Amino acid sequence: MKTIAVDLDDTLNNFTETLRGTDFSNEASYGIPDETFHAYMAKLRAGLADDSDLLSTEYTYFRYKIHLQCYERADARADGIEFMQWLRKNHWRIVICTHRDLRRCSDSTKQWLRNNGMPFDHLFMALHKPNFCKTWGIGHLVDDHLFSIAQGRRHGVQVFYPAMEKHTSIEPNGARAFKTFEEVRQWIQG
Amino acid sequence: MDSRVSLIGEFYRGLPKERAKVETYESGFEYLERLLTDGMELEYAEMPHMGLLHKYKLSNIPRYRMVELLLSHVEKRANLCLYFHDEANSLFCFNLDNNSKTNNTALIPEMQLAAGLLREQLTAIGCEPLLVASGRGYHVWCRLASPVANKQLYDLMLYCMARVMAGLHERGLDYNKVKANFYPDPRTQNVVSLRLFGTEHARNKVFSRILSGDAILDEAASWAAFEEHVRTKTIADEAFQKALSTMAAAFRQGA
Repeated sequence: MKTIAVDLDDTLNNFTETLRGTDFSNEASYGIPDETFHAYMAKLRAGLADDSDLLSTEYTYFRYKIHLQCYERADARADGIEFMQWLRKNHWRIVICTHRDLRRCSDSTKQWLRNNGMPFDHLFMALHKPNFCKTWGIGHLVDDHLFSIAQGRRHGVQVFYPAMEKHTSIEPNGARAFKTFEEVRQWIQG
Repeated sequence: MDSRVSLIGEFYRGLPKERAKVETYESGFEYLERLLTDGMELEYAEMPHMGLLHKYKLSNIPRYRMVELLLSHVEKRANLCLYFHDEANSLFCFNLDNNSKTNNTALIPEMQLAAGLLREQLTAIGCEPLLVASGRGYHVWCRLASPVANKQLYDLMLYCMARVMAGLHERGLDYNKVKANFYPDPRTQNVVSLRLFGTEHARNKVFSRILSGDAILDEAASWAAFEEHVRTKTIADEAFQKALSTMAAAFRQGA
């Protein structure tokens, strides 16, 4: 059976646009004053790394709560829906492969996929997606992540990525940029 | 049946057995097909590290398949992690982890002190715990005679942990270096699971040894201590309620 791994955030949806464009409000459950809320939101929207030496902090908890909202609010790409449905009709095994912490959002992720008519077979969290694909014998990966684009060929995985601003300065390294999922459909058929 | 499986089953008798997380180095679609038989379902899977360790969250596990999973656990072929009930449980556990981004399997002074203070605190209120080395710290288990509402379990854990954190602070140590999670936690039911005693840590291959006094026991002694705990350290209903009342009263008085 032909198998493909497909990422979610900024691949099948508009996660970053949702994060940057949504008017989030401070909630009691965050346990932080408004000033801190606005500082954390700015840091999150700028995509800055957490500079703490600690794994779990007030900021990491806040980030997780905001990301959860983005997962639910993000819009699906219309051509992504068509692509996923085409994969199903053509008997591909579809693995959703994400960096999301699925312990906390597997149910909402599945619901989002169902609500948007995106069929899938399995849901996987993989830190190193090319390594995951190699281990599971998956030859195709659709993913916007720079690391996957850089590492895919080394692991024998053909990576396809949606062309975005952040990709302009990278070496494609055998990965193929696409504007629409229709291009990916044609490539994987060939 | 392997006596260790019976013993594990007895200690964790109060936890749901129809769902679990399995940690193993086995992977691939053929493995998944073999795993997902008899109605078992995969909620999701994780490959969270650079190595080949996989974690599978399974549901609809038939009773006999759970026995097989427990056997694979004690035989160190896979690690089994269980979830907690939504309303009430006859076990509760503090999960103390080294909160550092780097080298977080190191046993830091804050962790040793926190584990010791927590054991003292729990023992003083009649809830003697079992401390199991978890890889990044300790799982501090308390076994109850019968199920107690999760809210009460959580309240007791919160009171105890607040005392422990205060103890670290009083000694000039940074309590942020120890991350404490409570099981069950009303916010994360069916979200997070805990690895059971009786197997090796998936990454560092160290057996889940028991901390007795200041000494970490070897594997055989840990099994003996585990058996002894099951036999003699179960907390009676009245003892738990008394412990909760004691701690609640102390906090009302600002202690």
